[in-house]
Amino acid sequence: MRRIDIKSPAIAPPQRVRDRLLVAIVLVHLVSPPAGAADRPETNVSFRNDVMAVLSKAGCNMGVCHGNKFGKGGFKLSLRGENPNWDFSVLSRDLNGRRVNPLEPDASLMLLKATMQVPHEGSRRFKIKSQEYDILRHWIASDTPSDTPETPALKELVVAPRDVVLVEPVDQVQLAVEAVFADGSRRDVKGLAVYDPSNQLAEVGHDGLVQRHGVGTTTVIVRYLGRQAPVRVAFVPARPDFVWRGPAPANFIDEFVFARLKELRINPSLSASDTVFLRRAFLDLLGILPTADEARQFVNDARSDKRARLIDELLERPEFADAWALKWSDLLRVEEKTLDRKGVQNFHAWIRGSIARDKPLDQFARELIAARGSTYRDPAANFYRAMREPFMRAESTAQVFLGVRLQCSKCHNHPFDRWTQDDYYNWANLFARVDYRVVENRRRDTNDSHEFDGEQIVVMAREGDVKDPRTDKPAAARFLGHDTVNLPSDSDRLLALSEWLASSSNKLFVETLANRIWYHLLGQGIVDPIDDFRATNPPVNPQLLEALSGELVSHNFSLRHLVRTIMNSQVYQLSSVANDTNRDDEVHFSRAKAQMLPAEQRADAMAQVTGVSLKFAGYPEGLRAGELPGVAAVRDRDRESRPTLADVFLQEFGKPPRLQSCECERSSEPTLSQTLRSVSGPFVADLLRRRDNRLQKLIDSGRPTYELIDDLYWVALSRAATPEERQASAAHVDSQSDRRPGLEDVLWALMNSKEFLFRR
Amino acid sequence: MARRALLRAGGAGLLGLSWPQILRAQEQAAKEQKPSLPAKAKSVVFLYQFGGPSHVDMFDMKPDAPDGVCSRFDQISTSLPGLEICDQLPETAKVMDKVTLVRTVYHTMKNHNSASYYALTGHAPPLDDIRLRDSVELFPAYGSVVDRLAPLAGSMPTFVAYPYVIRDGAITPGQHASFLGKKHDPFLITEDPNSSSFKLPELSLPANLSAERLDKRREIQKLINRQTEAAEQTATAAGLDAYYDRTLAMLSSPAVRNAFDLSAEPDGVRRKYGRTTYGQGCLLARRLVEAGVKFVNVYFSSNIGGQSTSDGGWDTHGFNNTFMYPILKARHLPLTEHTLPVFLNDLDERGLLETTLVVWMGEFGRTPKLNSQTSRDHWPQCYTVLLAGGGVKRGYVHGRSDRQGAFPDRDGVPIEDLSATMFALLGIDPATELLDRLNRPLPISSGRAVAGVMA
Repeated sequence: MRRIDIKSPAIAPPQRVRDRLLVAIVLVHLVSPPAGAADRPETNVSFRNDVMAVLSKAGCNMGVCHGNKFGKGGFKLSLRGENPNWDFSVLSRDLNGRRVNPLEPDASLMLLKATMQVPHEGSRRFKIKSQEYDILRHWIASDTPSDTPETPALKELVVAPRDVVLVEPVDQVQLAVEAVFADGSRRDVKGLAVYDPSNQLAEVGHDGLVQRHGVGTTTVIVRYLGRQAPVRVAFVPARPDFVWRGPAPANFIDEFVFARLKELRINPSLSASDTVFLRRAFLDLLGILPTADEARQFVNDARSDKRARLIDELLERPEFADAWALKWSDLLRVEEKTLDRKGVQNFHAWIRGSIARDKPLDQFARELIAARGSTYRDPAANFYRAMREPFMRAESTAQVFLGVRLQCSKCHNHPFDRWTQDDYYNWANLFARVDYRVVENRRRDTNDSHEFDGEQIVVMAREGDVKDPRTDKPAAARFLGHDTVNLPSDSDRLLALSEWLASSSNKLFVETLANRIWYHLLGQGIVDPIDDFRATNPPVNPQLLEALSGELVSHNFSLRHLVRTIMNSQVYQLSSVANDTNRDDEVHFSRAKAQMLPAEQRADAMAQVTGVSLKFAGYPEGLRAGELPGVAAVRDRDRESRPTLADVFLQEFGKPPRLQSCECERSSEPTLSQTLRSVSGPFVADLLRRRDNRLQKLIDSGRPTYELIDDLYWVALSRAATPEERQASAAHVDSQSDRRPGLEDVLWALMNSKEFLFRR
Repeated sequence: MARRALLRAGGAGLLGLSWPQILRAQEQAAKEQKPSLPAKAKSVVFLYQFGGPSHVDMFDMKPDAPDGVCSRFDQISTSLPGLEICDQLPETAKVMDKVTLVRTVYHTMKNHNSASYYALTGHAPPLDDIRLRDSVELFPAYGSVVDRLAPLAGSMPTFVAYPYVIRDGAITPGQHASFLGKKHDPFLITEDPNSSSFKLPELSLPANLSAERLDKRREIQKLINRQTEAAEQTATAAGLDAYYDRTLAMLSSPAVRNAFDLSAEPDGVRRKYGRTTYGQGCLLARRLVEAGVKFVNVYFSSNIGGQSTSDGGWDTHGFNNTFMYPILKARHLPLTEHTLPVFLNDLDERGLLETTLVVWMGEFGRTPKLNSQTSRDHWPQCYTVLLAGGGVKRGYVHGRSDRQGAFPDRDGVPIEDLSATMFALLGIDPATELLDRLNRPLPISSGRAVAGVMA
């Protein structure tokens, strides 16, 4: 029998435990007011179902509050209530007897603090006599009971509505939240559920009333105990005069996107100009700018199908394979330190070749996942050479091919997803038997276990398992989210995995691929981030994602086909200039997304415009940044050769080191130091000042200044200079005896203009 | 509410918003983030002693320890009654009444890069890896966190680091913004502040580029930008303009250039700090603190060193028949002696020490037992960190190590607690959460501020 401490001076400590209990029971009846408890019989307060819900509802167990590793103010709860057993013992076995006081429940510190009757750093969490208060109070007054075996577990959380469009003047919606328990009982828990809106467009009241704060879309995550459900809410302005002005759909993509836009009373932007479309297509497909001639030709082409023709032409150019090999190489860790230079060359050539030949993407994935053999002769084996341990392989494979971020569930059940620690270790175990026969290792730094230089054979060991650290026993081997299959111990796990994973019947795989391709062309995923598929991160347009996936499957996983389909849609060809109805929309694809050029594109564009070739250490002059197979062939500590200005430029402007399997590793945000380098740095200065650059050739041609200016505008911006630009630029050039410095200034301005720096 | 806002930013990231949106949400959260604690320190100068100084030969000597453990140096009394330190540091001994020695800092990382990452970020590395690879999975430098949560307004950078990028075989992680994004990277200087031609290439225009010419360029650039103004509504595009403005302001602002201009210091002051890279680095730190910079990382050396009397850090194993004592005596101790007390006194005399936290630390201490070369190896289990100013007690010793200086005997301070202390002194709640690249909310420190060292 548990000891009850009575610290309150108002009550004299009885002599024997028995007496104390008696007093306790009597007191419960004396001091428990019936008010507030009318809808719930007192005996029914469950720790797991009620008290735990209150701890979350009041925010007590947040990471910055008592859910912190050390708790706060000497009081620690499990983070977000992930460990009810811990919380129970903390609250019920309260040693100093002040936090919970069954004999005088209202004097319990946890109630006094939470209601700010005594000072509380975390401010007031709920009011006296509120539902939260009553639940805690009853539980305390009932002497902090644990749940009986009969207490039913939560089975399901039913939330309605799940997807709602609110048109002005309607500016709020009440959510219904019902908990379904194992015994079939149902309870309205809207007052105990936690509501987290994804942005500041909405505020959700205590009992689930969603109130509009702005125009746009928000997702409210409704959480109760361990369950959560997303609710998508769109707030639409009345726009009584709204008239749909979108173009006629060119294909199914437009149908799905426009349908959603109509619902939201959003008009898409106008179609992009030829110049903008041309640059966009070149950058997205080839990673380079059109030349001045290509630009003039396209703009002057009068044929109505010239955009479709351009797309077809570009898809067949070799730079297409370069540009898309770069994207995959980022994800597949094509990096010199671990793969060595030859491995990088071979792996990159394999990836590039796969894209050049339009190898079906499911086959591409299967070959990677089942890869083995010499990293020199069987280049796909570098997939595993780059990832030296099972957890890394497991996390990366899930992220790249299933769009799932499992990292959280290594240490605790995923807080926002269904993945458990069991899932994590069972999945990781599939990758446990990858082993390496190191034929040779000529690494220069013998202390560096990450450095390899020489051939390796990736082999599959006959046995070996990942251990589940909680049990210290081998984990099972299971496909993710596929509970029925536990692979036999002697099977070739990765062969089996490659067949299961890279298949048209694997929805997550197909959707992840389709979404990834969409992201590379539209700048934003339908599920975004693109490697974060989960129930609480729903697609913004589920029908569109489904249709794209279907298109991918029905066309044999052809990258080119899906790219062509997307680029021929009206949606892809929209301008980035907003109109009055889509100004606030950033997620429904109502206008193109302007983005800074990534490092490689920026360097290559500058080289192209200045008419010089770049030099990267370890490669022949003239190789474009977009063609580089790896990260850097020469490291800055190497003695025989130093990184060049171009190498340093790529690093500074965010080329990823390829140590992660995530698009997020690439840094695309502008920084102060980048701007400093653009203004006064040596790389840009060198391009402008070289005697063999485009400027010198223009000057040597002896043509009049305004013609030279026009040429530079076509080269840099794929358009003629406006009269104002032509006049101002020419005046500046001609104001000096030597035209060269003036032209350098104009070219600098062109290469630092937003029109140049953004893909729009 | 600020805390909730941060959490909400976390939710936003998880719900499929684009990066700029997340960043904006974070920005918003950062704005709402009110320091929940009173800031005692306005600035931190982090003097990083790469290689690992020997605590038992400097600030935690054990004269009664047996031969083979006991230091070959003698001890002297200091300005703090009862405290004795190494006899090679008589000037340093005179400022012991101004500092707090924490004698029981500990962790478990035995390799330079993993331990340095721990020391530079306050976060345990995933493994004790001699060539721990720098990646965006790892935690940002302290200064980058400060730049993210409590940035300076105006043209001065919040976080400045120099005069090296430190490395041991590979670049040591923990020196930059990592998952916070490049815009929170330190303003990095790799020029030698002791060089007569010391100036910042980033803040100097190339010879052929006059200020007028730069203005002209900017003028044409703006003209081009005006042609497509309607298209440039994104936050990134607007932000880019701000960067160009700020860049030009830095290039033309005397305040910024002046802060970095060591030639503005009287010769006497420069000599007092010592005409060494480290000495002038400390002098530069004082100028930067005066200009308001919030976090300055000064690296003692670019590498772990320990085998030379003219170069390198504190890693005095005695390898290749180099011996610790003569090297310490010829290089590290005199350099410390001619710099640290000068720096602390200068700050104090200018009234800056009250609001400037100085942290002097390495990645670990050294083995209490002398090795066969009469030198010492790596020892993270217990070592000494020197703190001064910025809300830390004057003249105080925190914690006690055991009889050999091998393990904490009383008041052990896990290295995480040191980071929590630093953030708390800056007025930043150590439990504040940041989002990593996978949008996981992670606390900036997993330690607890050490109340005992606070004034």
